[in-house]
Amino acid sequence: MYIYALLVALAVIFAIFLAPLRHKVWVATGVTAIAAGTAITLAVMSLTGGVIELAHLSTELFGSETFKVDALSSLFLVIIALASVAVVLYSRGYVESYLKRFSSAHISLHYTALVTLCVSMMLVVMSSGGFSFLFSWELMTIASFLLILFEAERQDVRRAALNYLVMMHIGFIFLVAGFVMLYNVTGSANFSAIEQYFKIAAPLPLFIILFIGFGMKAGLFPMHIWLPEAHPAAPSHVSAIMSGVMIKTGIYGVIRMMQAIDHNIELLYTIGLIVLLSGIITGLWGIILAAMQNDIKRLLAYSSIENVGVILIGLGIAAVGHAAGSNLIGMCGMCGALLHIVNHSFFKTMLFMGAGNIYSKMHTTTMNQMGGLAKQMPITAILVMFATVAICALPPLNGFVSELLMYIGMFNGVSDGHEVLYSVAAIIALSLIGGIAVLAFTKLYGIVFLGSPRSHHVAEATEVDNYRICAMAIPAVMILFIGLLPQVAIRPIAYIAEAVTGADSVAAIDYFSSTLTTLCYVSWALLLVIALLYFVKRHAQRNRKIETGPTWGCGFTALNTRMQYTGESYSEGMENIAKTLIKNTVDGRSVDKSEIFPSKHNYDIKHKDKVDSLLGQWWVKMLHRLNEYVMRLRTGRVNNYITFALGFLVVVLILTLVGII
Amino acid sequence: MLVKLFNTLLMLLVALSITGVINRTRAILAGRKGIRFMQHIYNVGLQLRKGAVYSPTTTILFRIAPCVYLGAALMAFLFIPIADLEPILSFHGDIIFVAYLLSLSRVAIVLAALDTGSSFEGMGAAREALYGALVEPALMMGMATLALFCGYSSFAEIFSTAQELNTNLTVVLLLVAYVFVIIMFIEAGRVPVDDPRTHLELTMIHEVMCLDYSGVDMAMIHIAGWLKNSIFAMIAANAVAVVICFHWWFAALLAVLGTGIAIGIVESLRARNKLVRNTTYILTIVAMSALVLLTGFLLIQNIEI
Repeated sequence: MYIYALLVALAVIFAIFLAPLRHKVWVATGVTAIAAGTAITLAVMSLTGGVIELAHLSTELFGSETFKVDALSSLFLVIIALASVAVVLYSRGYVESYLKRFSSAHISLHYTALVTLCVSMMLVVMSSGGFSFLFSWELMTIASFLLILFEAERQDVRRAALNYLVMMHIGFIFLVAGFVMLYNVTGSANFSAIEQYFKIAAPLPLFIILFIGFGMKAGLFPMHIWLPEAHPAAPSHVSAIMSGVMIKTGIYGVIRMMQAIDHNIELLYTIGLIVLLSGIITGLWGIILAAMQNDIKRLLAYSSIENVGVILIGLGIAAVGHAAGSNLIGMCGMCGALLHIVNHSFFKTMLFMGAGNIYSKMHTTTMNQMGGLAKQMPITAILVMFATVAICALPPLNGFVSELLMYIGMFNGVSDGHEVLYSVAAIIALSLIGGIAVLAFTKLYGIVFLGSPRSHHVAEATEVDNYRICAMAIPAVMILFIGLLPQVAIRPIAYIAEAVTGADSVAAIDYFSSTLTTLCYVSWALLLVIALLYFVKRHAQRNRKIETGPTWGCGFTALNTRMQYTGESYSEGMENIAKTLIKNTVDGRSVDKSEIFPSKHNYDIKHKDKVDSLLGQWWVKMLHRLNEYVMRLRTGRVNNYITFALGFLVVVLILTLVGII
Repeated sequence: MLVKLFNTLLMLLVALSITGVINRTRAILAGRKGIRFMQHIYNVGLQLRKGAVYSPTTTILFRIAPCVYLGAALMAFLFIPIADLEPILSFHGDIIFVAYLLSLSRVAIVLAALDTGSSFEGMGAAREALYGALVEPALMMGMATLALFCGYSSFAEIFSTAQELNTNLTVVLLLVAYVFVIIMFIEAGRVPVDDPRTHLELTMIHEVMCLDYSGVDMAMIHIAGWLKNSIFAMIAANAVAVVICFHWWFAALLAVLGTGIAIGIVESLRARNKLVRNTTYILTIVAMSALVLLTGFLLIQNIEI
């Protein structure tokens, strides 16, 4: 069977490499569509008929380990499948402008890596054994590394890709160490052995080691620093799939571990606290930094970190709730977290695709050069609007549904007196995250799409091709579906959450199903009210004088578009509060207060993450110091070097005499 | 059903009269004759009959935004009970829905302001977004305190069970009411955070975002502002009514007179904050609401032990 799998893989690679330049994308789309179709079929079969074992897929390579699809895998399979199809479809338009610049082999490699990434993510969530899991995990890392390297002639791309590769492998070492520990104690590296391990050995070390390993992929604070570097470097469709789906595989691992601790209440409680706390820190850190970024893709990358934090808050509340004996809190947290995984995979994919549309027309992702793009790219503007409202967790779209579930859990924690303080901490964090997300995304949307153009490139921008619009429409439909029919969307999620937590939660599900049914009516009512108000307004204005006049300049008549509020000034207030979290790097010089008639200035400020510099700096400093010592030995005189050689031989001699070597 | 309708009508009355009370209080304290009690309604009526001027910079979003602003405020408004009356809409967790509806209305108006491409409106939008983000935790903690005392997560249930509360919680509930009134100051753009009467665009927050609106749109924004005021005023009044006299007439009267006079007095007696002080002011309220929640929690623990 292993041979067949290898043959199929080779056939796909040959097909992509041999296909004519313009048709490579269709080969990739076809393969991804088949994989996605299979994945969705498996997921549906598993959700309706129980766990599916794909026993024979990997016996030669991984011994007795199998691939199987259970409830949790099927959730991830569905989001991976949907995102993969959308992304590969999107890549056609995005890569088109590179077809002339890059060789055929380069393009083929890109598509091969893209297909490999999609398939390897599916394998990651299907493998039940540790070694097949690690194999797929590594395949996923390497594929995504190649994808980031698409524009390899840019130095920042190479640096980001290398940074990514190193960080991922540090995480990988932790994972390997974790699975080896598991294998040592239980004699099996299966996920199901974790439960056994937690019973016989000290559980926390294993949990923390694996948590760090998974957290590296998920972008957990302080291991998030690869995200804001890798996403601006990667092509947009790659950022879309990496941010929308790939970082979720880290969360998948965390959920798998939490699944293993059902019976040990004490442990569940501790782990719940760890997860909750890291979620709160990650979420707040991510969104505060996001609000200060002036690059679209960096902003989106930080917002992905924030969303990972939100998901972990949900998981933490679920664990703490279950440990406190409240099924309702546990189910609300778990359903909220699972639904947020799904939701985020849709709106973040869409936002990155929107950023890709802009980049392919403007050739930059710097917000402060944009403005007024809604007039040039109306369909992109509308689609991104949906994603913006959804990611700010505003009703009536899907982001609100998942956050509402988490809030219901937390408020129930508060009102029932279960773990009040943790619930309150989570409520504060989630509401602050929600508030700052509004700041960050109104900034993104307002500066990029609204107002007047800040550079002449905007006027030359046009709407992108229909394939890309279609690709963006796939997540858009899902956003609307979950947002407007939450009680339907929650059913499979609740089923999966029940399977994950293993608790009988009919009452809890009934409780929030009725809430979501009402929410559905109220959301529709909200849309209806808004539509009605608009209609009434239009009707009332019908016979009146509607004039067009310039924007009120407050008495100043020589306005130009450069005087608009910029992204930097929009988030200045936030920056004043959070300046301890960032490290600014400034290029150029700002206008001095004494300059009454300012001359031309170049001023570029970048807000870097302090963790980034902290983590980056200490080892650079250490290397420097080490180098200084080593450099003292390099005197440049031959007689000194001969002394060193002699010294070395003497040391070896002594060591041999003593018997150490 | 009749009760629900009555609740909504009374809420509407509250929403319409708070601004009148504020104006009258200010006039009396300043020793002026002042404008009529209903003047703000006449003004809006006038705007509703006017045409409009739109900037060529704006997109369709600018025209939809007032509808979203008003629509979201209106939906939130329908969830608020007046003491023992029932609101039209209610479900488990509606306190969160209301908070996020207010957030939605804020997004609409902020984006509309950015749509005009004016630096002054951008300034207002940036401030509104920042203050909105900071005040969100205070709002949620205020609601969490109510949920903690009553054991429910919808307005209707909270205030219908709140009557059996222990009298020890009086002080805490009064403080909750205080927090909500301050949140109303912030959300409605009142002194000390913002001054609706100021005429310098550089220092305006809420008003500067609507500089380019006229006619029906402006009227919608004003109406939404009244509705939002009444939401916060009523929650605060309910929290007070719970401990003093839990009847609809008392709560409604308290919402109108209490908040109206409070705002009138504050606006007459003190100057607005320096803009840079606003964030500190809001964060103080957040800290205060955290303190209230913690005190309430400790009180409840003590009583039960």
